[in-house]
Amino acid sequence: MHFRTAIQSLAMPLALGVIAIYFAVKEPAFLGPRNLTQLIVEFSITGTLALGMFMILLTGQIDLSVGSGVGLIGGIAAVLVFQQGWPAPAAMGGAFVAALVLWTLMGALIVRQRIPSFIITLGGLLIFKGLFWLVIQNSTIPVSRGDAENLYSRLTTYYLPARAGFALAAVIVVVLAVLAWRSRQARAAHNLPDSSSSRAAARWIATAAAIAGLVAMFNQFRGVPLSLLVLAGTAVAVYFLTQHTPFGRYLYAIGGNEEAAVLSGIAVNRVLIGAYALMGVTVALTGFMTTAYSGAATTTVGDLMELDAIAACVIGGTALKGGRGSVGGVIFGALIMTALLNGMTLLAVAPESKFIARGVVLTLAVWMDVVFGRAKN
Amino acid sequence: MNKNPTPGSAPQHSSLDIGHWSLGPPLLEARRLTKRFPGVTALRDVAFELRAGEIHALCGENGAGKSTLIKLLSGIHPHGSYEGELHVDGHPVRFAGVRDAEAAGNADITQEFALVEELSVAENIFLGRAPRRGLPAFALRATARLRGTDGPSRRPGEGWRVDWLEMHRRAAGLLADFGLAVSPAAPVRKIGIGQKQLVEIIRAMDKKTRVLVLDEPTAALTGPEVAVLLEHLRRLRAQGTACIYISHKLDEVFAIADRITVLRDGASIATLAAREATVPLVIKQMVGRELGDLFPRRSGFTPDTADVGDKARPSAEAVLSVRHLHVAPAPGTEPFLRDISFDLGAGEVLGFGGLMGAGRTELVMHLFGAWGHRVRGDVTLQGQAHAAPTPRDSIRRGLVLATEDRRRYGLVLEQSIGFNLSLSSLRQFRRGVKLDLPAEQVRNQHFFESLQVKAPGQHARAGGLSGGNQQKVVLGKALMTEPAVVMLDEPTRGIDVGAKLEVYELINRLTDEGKAVILVSSELPELMGMSDRIIMLRGGQIGGEFTRGEATQEQLLHAALASAA
Repeated sequence: MHFRTAIQSLAMPLALGVIAIYFAVKEPAFLGPRNLTQLIVEFSITGTLALGMFMILLTGQIDLSVGSGVGLIGGIAAVLVFQQGWPAPAAMGGAFVAALVLWTLMGALIVRQRIPSFIITLGGLLIFKGLFWLVIQNSTIPVSRGDAENLYSRLTTYYLPARAGFALAAVIVVVLAVLAWRSRQARAAHNLPDSSSSRAAARWIATAAAIAGLVAMFNQFRGVPLSLLVLAGTAVAVYFLTQHTPFGRYLYAIGGNEEAAVLSGIAVNRVLIGAYALMGVTVALTGFMTTAYSGAATTTVGDLMELDAIAACVIGGTALKGGRGSVGGVIFGALIMTALLNGMTLLAVAPESKFIARGVVLTLAVWMDVVFGRAKN
Repeated sequence: MNKNPTPGSAPQHSSLDIGHWSLGPPLLEARRLTKRFPGVTALRDVAFELRAGEIHALCGENGAGKSTLIKLLSGIHPHGSYEGELHVDGHPVRFAGVRDAEAAGNADITQEFALVEELSVAENIFLGRAPRRGLPAFALRATARLRGTDGPSRRPGEGWRVDWLEMHRRAAGLLADFGLAVSPAAPVRKIGIGQKQLVEIIRAMDKKTRVLVLDEPTAALTGPEVAVLLEHLRRLRAQGTACIYISHKLDEVFAIADRITVLRDGASIATLAAREATVPLVIKQMVGRELGDLFPRRSGFTPDTADVGDKARPSAEAVLSVRHLHVAPAPGTEPFLRDISFDLGAGEVLGFGGLMGAGRTELVMHLFGAWGHRVRGDVTLQGQAHAAPTPRDSIRRGLVLATEDRRRYGLVLEQSIGFNLSLSSLRQFRRGVKLDLPAEQVRNQHFFESLQVKAPGQHARAGGLSGGNQQKVVLGKALMTEPAVVMLDEPTRGIDVGAKLEVYELINRLTDEGKAVILVSSELPELMGMSDRIIMLRGGQIGGEFTRGEATQEQLLHAALASAA
């Protein structure tokens, strides 16, 4: 157990380091602020989707439809903005509701009819793709009218001004301090042991320094990207859900042993539908960001993103059979996945090779998951 | 291992009646077999002998060691995992696995429904040994002509493709032999449960092994089907096949067996010639055990106070009351549990006994909301109707079940002890949408310590615990829900004596707190030692109800065994 966690917690930074060094040597611009900012936007997109996928995988289910869904939801919002002339927030709200409804229905279909999620979501992949092309009429629908900027188009192009970035960092650091302090108070009230206060302070200072450094780095180019804040918000929400609510416990329990979960009095169906509804939420967020990032809804938006999301989760230590995984791991996995794709694009690697590399990484990640899963039993 | 076994040490208690059997060495002989599992000695110095052309019955209570013995004989427990010797045809053998045993012409187990549901009856009968054929006739002729040889050299039963016609023809013959009216092409999942069992038996018999092992072959058969089966066994016996026959149904055993070996607590008690034995004698030898202080039932609800209590406590005060309950496995099927009625009072331990498949687990699973479709009958829990519940409803209403199969139904093995302990009780720790993790940890620690779970801490993985400690976690999870009624399904199965005592103490503590307990157990001494009342189930019905001290093991066994026909 300790050995395994040690390997995994070391393996990911190590892999990321190797990737970064390799690309940096081949193309120094890889680590330049311009590319790093771009990488962070792409990372936000993959990471947000992976966080939704994470909760699905935790229960031992899977969702193959999210790539098409990303295109469809982004496309609906684009059509509402560009063709119907809706204000961007309203259009995104409408598309968001559509995602929520679609994924709730899909979840309900999976649990009530006991159809394997693999099949239902494979059907979803095709259906959503078709609906997407129908909605955008196989054309290219920009996310804004003319050169006008709106919330939608700014999703991946807005950067916090330098001062706002630092102010936000300061707020986050203060909030972290308050949370840590309250947690210590609660543990003390129950006479539970805790790490020494100097260690806690040191950890807090280290976190604060890291956040400040990150903001400073972004400010070298254009500032903290808005999309990173979307990812951070999603990550915090998913972390809270999985670690601090009964719902999260139930996700782990269902994935670990569904029969035991039922007999433990868990409303398994409700929890699973909830997981799919949340997947819908992250699909909507990712859909908006992806479409905004490519500037318009075109037929290829979202292609194969479900596989990137799954790969990110599995690279990050999420078990495909469910019951194991962490938010931190998923974030790391998404970063590795994005760094690979971004670096290859930067090196102008041919698309065919990119496909193969993606496949190799996915296969490798799943293979490692199987090996680690076996080692446990 | 003893290198100088005493000659002829096998059936020490046997009144050897060799009758029509050959006088050569026994086909199969086990000498001083001892098999230990962690914490449990499953077999102790067991002697067993099987002669050609003999049907030899193995009798014993659940857990007496019958299955373990069979697994040794058939190589599932390989040589080296046990002490003692196995002899085939008088020569010592060391099976490294099932294949060795099969190569020795040896035992073939009919396990419970080892059929492939999606394949046809014929395919199942010939699984792994389908009749083959080579090239079709015209191709053979053509190749022969090309080679200039005389004619087609066709070898039946061999070749590189399945001979479907032959397979179906032979399957049809076997099915007709057994009077089984199913098509060889029918998928196994579509045939009845009794028919499945017969298909399995046909498969085992057709493999033409020298030793046929039938483990509870008639559990799902009707009277006429049993008669057909026994008739075929007699025919095989006449052909020289030896058979080890395991059944709880003593009337069958006496109808078919030549000799009977009784196992009890892992020891071979006696080998009797069937024609000299009687049903009461066999039952006595199956039981033959003194109740010691192993079962420390102490309770305000002894039989003496029970009389007083019954007067003082009107039946309306029963915590759990079941009336004329009929439960089917699924809507539209025949009820399996029939006309079950009982009351359970606070502070009382109600024991449920019965043979495998008598419906004990089904009953508690149904009351918990995890099995079956209620055809009719009423269940009242703490004064409220408890109709068509889910486990979630049951837990919220104060009825909880600690399941029999801990690893499958009880625990999330990959997660920590604490995770499992609080899994059913997270509602207690909710503060708004959030879990109060420190409060949860404190509560987990309380249960972890009071149950004396032996582990480095509540953060240890549940899957790494021993059986007894896993059981404690399952019990802890159930108890943390603060139930009024606790149902324990085989709470001491597979755990060592020390852990058993702790479970019994826990039951006492529960009843002291006024909780009602349902105890399901296969071990009669445990039932008698720990229950205030005992209900024996038989084929889904109540076979008898006894109060503490009233029943002897013989009476209980009779209630469980008495032939339903």
